[in-house]
Amino acid sequence: MIRNGAKENRVTKWLVSGPPLVFLLVFFVTPSLIMLFTSLRFPGEFGGLAPIISPTEAAQGEHGLTLETYQLFFSDILYAEVFLKSFIVASTSTLICLIMAYPLALLIARSEKRFRNLMVLLVVLPFASNFLIRIYAWMIILGPESVFSHFINGVLSAFGVAPVTLLFSPFAVIVGMVYVYLPFMVLPLYTNLEKHDPALLDAAQDLGANAWQRFWHVTWPLSLPGVFSGSVLVFIPVLGMFAVPDILGGTGDILIGNLIKDQFLGTRDWPFGSTLSIMLTLAVLAITALSTWLARPASITKG
Amino acid sequence: MTRSRASTVLLTILSAAFLVTGCSSQDQNIAARGEKVLYLFNWNNYIAPKTVKQFEQSCNCRLSQDYYADNEEMLAKLAAGASGHDLIIPTGNAMSTLIHQGVLRPLDKTLLPNLKNINPSHLNNAFDPGNKYSVPYAYTVTLLGFNQQKIIELGLPTDSWSLIFEPKYLKKIKGRVTVLDSQRELMAAALKYLGYSANDANELHWQEARNLILRAKPYWAAFSNTSYVKELAVGNLWVAHGYSNDMFQAALDAKKTGRKFIIDYSIPREGAVLALDSLVIHQSGTHPELAHQFITFMLDGRNSAELTNLTGSGNPNMSAVQFIQPEIIDNKAIFPDQELFTRLEMIQDLDRTQRRRLSRLWTEIKLRNL
Amino acid sequence: MRRRNIWLCSAAALAYAFLYIPLIIVVVYSFNDSKLNAEWVSFTLSWYVALFNNQEMLTAARNSLIIAVCASFCATILGSMAGLAMNRYKLKFLPILVFAPVAMPEILLGVALLLFFLQVLNLTLGMFSIIIAHTTFCIGFVAIIVRARLQGMDESIFEAARDLGASPWLTFRLITLPLIMPAVVAGALMSFTLSIDDFVITFFTKGVGEPVLPVQIYTMIKVAVTPEVNAVSTLLMLLTLTMIIIATKLDSGVLRLETKK
Repeated sequence: MIRNGAKENRVTKWLVSGPPLVFLLVFFVTPSLIMLFTSLRFPGEFGGLAPIISPTEAAQGEHGLTLETYQLFFSDILYAEVFLKSFIVASTSTLICLIMAYPLALLIARSEKRFRNLMVLLVVLPFASNFLIRIYAWMIILGPESVFSHFINGVLSAFGVAPVTLLFSPFAVIVGMVYVYLPFMVLPLYTNLEKHDPALLDAAQDLGANAWQRFWHVTWPLSLPGVFSGSVLVFIPVLGMFAVPDILGGTGDILIGNLIKDQFLGTRDWPFGSTLSIMLTLAVLAITALSTWLARPASITKG
Repeated sequence: MTRSRASTVLLTILSAAFLVTGCSSQDQNIAARGEKVLYLFNWNNYIAPKTVKQFEQSCNCRLSQDYYADNEEMLAKLAAGASGHDLIIPTGNAMSTLIHQGVLRPLDKTLLPNLKNINPSHLNNAFDPGNKYSVPYAYTVTLLGFNQQKIIELGLPTDSWSLIFEPKYLKKIKGRVTVLDSQRELMAAALKYLGYSANDANELHWQEARNLILRAKPYWAAFSNTSYVKELAVGNLWVAHGYSNDMFQAALDAKKTGRKFIIDYSIPREGAVLALDSLVIHQSGTHPELAHQFITFMLDGRNSAELTNLTGSGNPNMSAVQFIQPEIIDNKAIFPDQELFTRLEMIQDLDRTQRRRLSRLWTEIKLRNL
Repeated sequence: MRRRNIWLCSAAALAYAFLYIPLIIVVVYSFNDSKLNAEWVSFTLSWYVALFNNQEMLTAARNSLIIAVCASFCATILGSMAGLAMNRYKLKFLPILVFAPVAMPEILLGVALLLFFLQVLNLTLGMFSIIIAHTTFCIGFVAIIVRARLQGMDESIFEAARDLGASPWLTFRLITLPLIMPAVVAGALMSFTLSIDDFVITFFTKGVGEPVLPVQIYTMIKVAVTPEVNAVSTLLMLLTLTMIIIATKLDSGVLRLETKK
């Protein structure tokens, strides 16, 4: 850092970080605190709302605070199972997204410049249509009488495997998740890969590295920040998603998202819904912190 | 470069702003014409478009609808303090919640001369004794819909919940059955099958119902609240636990697209759930007189019949009967006879500890196998 | 190099196919003369006719477009700033603030914002409240993608600019902004699609009597899937495409997804 720029730096720092910080403090942190508070309340008798405490109510001591929802969460292995299951689904979806998105992003980044915009747009465009209608389209593709189902079962029977139902299964849930979040993996990957200097690859080639070595020792390590943020943008939203398991899932496909939705739009148990959400957010933050920490050395070695 | 980019951004904002002002000026036009707007919080497609037009002409006002897909969504939004709706059309238990919360405006019966059109068997129910707040609008029955050809072919019973609970029948239709993704509805079906009340909250009975559900679960394809309509009509599903108006839709769709099978539906003899939707006036609305005017309009037999002809919903309005298509009025699953009607039950709200217990049970049902 | 490209191309082609096969179904069935999205019957434009006669749906589409444009505009600016700040100033709490809204289940965010708007701010719900709500959950997405772009970038170029006496603003405009532009545009696109599609948060933060597309469609689908929804989806994609093309034609710099060299 340049010494004489220190003061100016401080001003710039707050000019840059100030607005998003203030916005998030007002419109995210405050509502979150409300919900944190809600998690400590009792559900209302009619409709699960624990009304926000008003001074008169507090004076009457009508609704005390309680930790019972936390107790409920930790005393029952059932909820941990739902969490575990969701994390498995989210990890699988993220991994498949990565495998599908990486070649696509790489290809776009290495295409001629005039095609790049179009190719990226083509990735995003389907997502201007309605989310539910796209999921319903998957119901058609995965349906028991669909061409795709017949094809898959044809292949399976050739290997002597009993026919499978694709729709209403964990498989369909993963397909739906991957479909919904694929662009969130492609875009960060692409914006990262796009800035790589081709000279590095040429240099590696000159040094006698084959295609695989060039990828593994040059492109991949450089792209790790993109891989990381893409994974975050897929992994986290999958955890909260409830519509995909609702529509495409079978009888056992319940994820945290469904559980939380049920608390608000079913059981009317806002306190427990808040508690579940808090646990989810904490778990997610812990995972991101951990992976940031793990990813850090790799991005620094680049230099 | 910077200048041209700035101009584009500006252009975008300006055009957006133009669109916004275009919209507000439209509202101003309405205000200028002195037109009143009645705000209705409703299910989508739960009033015939024709009826809306006729009402708007008759009252010289505009009917503006907001939609919800589930009673619980509506309740959650109102519970957080949302306001401004004149009229809401909740189902029985949701309505009783609203009454208990004290957010409804009592009806002025002097403004509702044709309340007498409503069938007395739909009046004065436990949720709103004396109909202080509510006027019955339409109802549905939770029942079993099925692919008639398949069911006959396989020799399965259609008048009993055993079709979705007994493995001996289920094994013939494995993977072709869905049940509702609703804690209360599925439990009600199971409890009814076991011979209990749909509102039974006895822990032992719940355990019995849970075991019944878990035993049948491996044969079900999914818990589904919406997609069964289409899947039945297409032929992918053979049996579905669902609402009478949805089954009506599925049957109609199957017929229209010239399927080789018929979708039929019937109320199980063990009894089923009746969901009565009523018109209620919310306190936060600013046009109570207009709301009464709307209720009066909807109580008219001809207007009320439009909805039934459109959606196949049950109709509590006696003067509507003559305007309803004969094939609907003759359908026992939509208009159950007196004997069948006595076996229908409306779902009542559980208290908060029961709700929490049921939620846990439901999670277990989804997660575990027997 | 060549052979590798073939592998890359086929893998990418598969990914595109995966993205577009469901979409083709959506578009094709919008022209299908059958209420069921199930098999091809015959060509019709009746769903589009129905759509254009559905004033409510058109208003909803317009409202949602305005909301999506405004929300993605705000989220892109704020998110880019947050991304820059996260990368440069190593504020410990900023990443938490950015990641948490992405991690927060939307139903909770919806209810929390509704409570906040009504009971703390005493705001009248309307387009404004939806725009704020959408901005809140989009910021994180933009920030994360912008930071990913900046990570591992050579800091010396910023320092060089400063050494040459460039003001922070000039450095930003001439060096930083062009560098992060692809990520900014990608973030904007992402916010746009998130905003136009969100049902839960929109449902909770919308005002009375203002139809918005996701709520309209979601509640409609709950009753029955009609090809009218396919039609509106098709039109929306066309509209988005047109908007982007026009914006690019007006100023080729608007949509710059590649590094300016």
